[in-house]
Amino acid sequence: MIIFKNISKIYPPNVVALKNINLHIKPKEFVSIVGRSGTGKTTLVKILTAEESSTKGRIIVGGWDITYIKPREIPVLRRQIGVVFQDFKLLAKKTVFENIAFALQACGTDQQKIKEIIPQVLKIVSLTGKENRYPIQLSGGEQQRVAIARALVHRPKILVADEPTGNLDSINTQEIMDLLLKINEFGTTVVLVSHNKEVINSINKRVITIDNGEIISDQKIGKYLL
Amino acid sequence: MISSSIFRIILFAWQSFWRNIWLSIVTITIIVLTFISINFLITVNVVSDAAINIVKDKVDISVYFRPDITEPQVDEVQTYLSSLTQIKEINYISQQEALEKFRQAHREDQVIIESLEELETNPIGATLQIRAKNIDDYPEIISILDNSKYNDLILDKNFDDNQAYIGKIKEFSDNIRKVGLFSLGVFAIIALLIVFNTIRVAIYTHREEIGVMKLVGATNWFIRSPFLVEAVFYGVVSCVIAIIIIYPLLNFIQPHINSFFLTEEFNVINYFNQNFWKIFGLEILVIIFLNIITSVVAIRRYLKV
Ligand SMILES: Nc1ncnc2c1ncn2[C@@H]1O[C@H](COP(=O)(O)OP(=O)(O)O)[C@@H](O)[C@H]1O
Ligand SMILES: [Mg+2]
Repeated sequence: MIIFKNISKIYPPNVVALKNINLHIKPKEFVSIVGRSGTGKTTLVKILTAEESSTKGRIIVGGWDITYIKPREIPVLRRQIGVVFQDFKLLAKKTVFENIAFALQACGTDQQKIKEIIPQVLKIVSLTGKENRYPIQLSGGEQQRVAIARALVHRPKILVADEPTGNLDSINTQEIMDLLLKINEFGTTVVLVSHNKEVINSINKRVITIDNGEIISDQKIGKYLL
Repeated sequence: MISSSIFRIILFAWQSFWRNIWLSIVTITIIVLTFISINFLITVNVVSDAAINIVKDKVDISVYFRPDITEPQVDEVQTYLSSLTQIKEINYISQQEALEKFRQAHREDQVIIESLEELETNPIGATLQIRAKNIDDYPEIISILDNSKYNDLILDKNFDDNQAYIGKIKEFSDNIRKVGLFSLGVFAIIALLIVFNTIRVAIYTHREEIGVMKLVGATNWFIRSPFLVEAVFYGVVSCVIAIIIIYPLLNFIQPHINSFFLTEEFNVINYFNQNFWKIFGLEILVIIFLNIITSVVAIRRYLKV
């Protein structure tokens, strides 16, 4: 599903963020990427979503070589990859419903379709009934679930979560982890970036450890090493 | 799908307009000022052209014959003059009419009226009013008359040299035009800078939404177009407001124009009405075009998509 071949990334002028990354993530896999702060995890995510281009190497997503993706093809890629972040990136002035609808509207979905899709994704993230709340009226975990719901509207094959629990307490963290596992069970490839030791150790999934921009370990049923 | 997108883009632009309402007001104000200065220039042009025409139209030579010259003799002169190519029209004023005119002109002056009463014969000769095809031909016509055999019959020739007058109008309107062009230039430059800045602020205000749109795979045109629509919107709204302001202004200056030129011949409002689409249509197209160019530059610069 995702192939990184000899990926290196150097931010101008000379910040080496990634060094010769080789990685193969299979469809429906649940992969955790762990590592200290500043080791290049987010950079890896950005290369995957074509927010950054790699300095060297090739990247293939779902059989599509996006190494030299054209700007106008980027939206097509992004509709296939749902992304969530530590800071949720919800619009404070929009309700839950409007936040999710906005993602669909921005892609030209008509209102009829939007009304169909939103209840479905809200059900997946267990937020049915809270569609008229504003982000500030929700807990951190609920806000992250809205962000996940938004990431799911295009039924992406891949869901990337960059430190999704970084801002959450342990109960909310568990809630989000359960949700990510559930989404993975439905058949979505999940890439989780995290440095939460307990979380990683509890889920018994593949763990890739990055340090200083290099993969230092890749375990089938991994533990948090550092 | 396309129509709902277009609707959303317009809605987005509309919200953006209201979200920074003060900035929108400033933007519109300056574009309105630009519109008004363009139309001020047009008005100056139209009025000065009309004024020159009116003045040109009033220029003629009056040839006053001696009182003892008879009508057939005047006829002969008229026939001769009619054969000159420079002449457009000749108006014959008989002795009787000339006297009547003279009376009218001096009806306040008791002495003149009384002395006229005392005279047995008409002391005023006939008059020929000559109009040339071209205003530059008058001196030539005068010299032709001076050198003709009819010169003896003529008491006096009167040619109001309105050239100087026309020159003054031209100079005056040229000066106003310079001021107008200068202010138009200044307004236009300020307007473009402000539009640029407004679009930049709009992009800044929407940075979160833009971020989310990029994240979820909105196309570039969907992200960019609201800002273009907003720029077009400024042009349209400003034009409408400018029209609403310009017409009462024209209404206000119209009587002044009339009384200045002592004629109802020229109506600047009619001119604007007759050329409404030509004037405002062209102006709005130009403004929209410039706004779009400006926003495209601003979007390029500040909206990395
Ligand atoms: N846009 C950028 N320009 C320059 N350096 C950057 C940029 N983004 C990240 N970096 C640097 O690249 C390295 C990896 O960053 P990042 O991928 O964000 O790490 P992580 O997500 O693992 O904390 C860091 O040293 C960071 O300072
Ligand atoms: Mg990071």
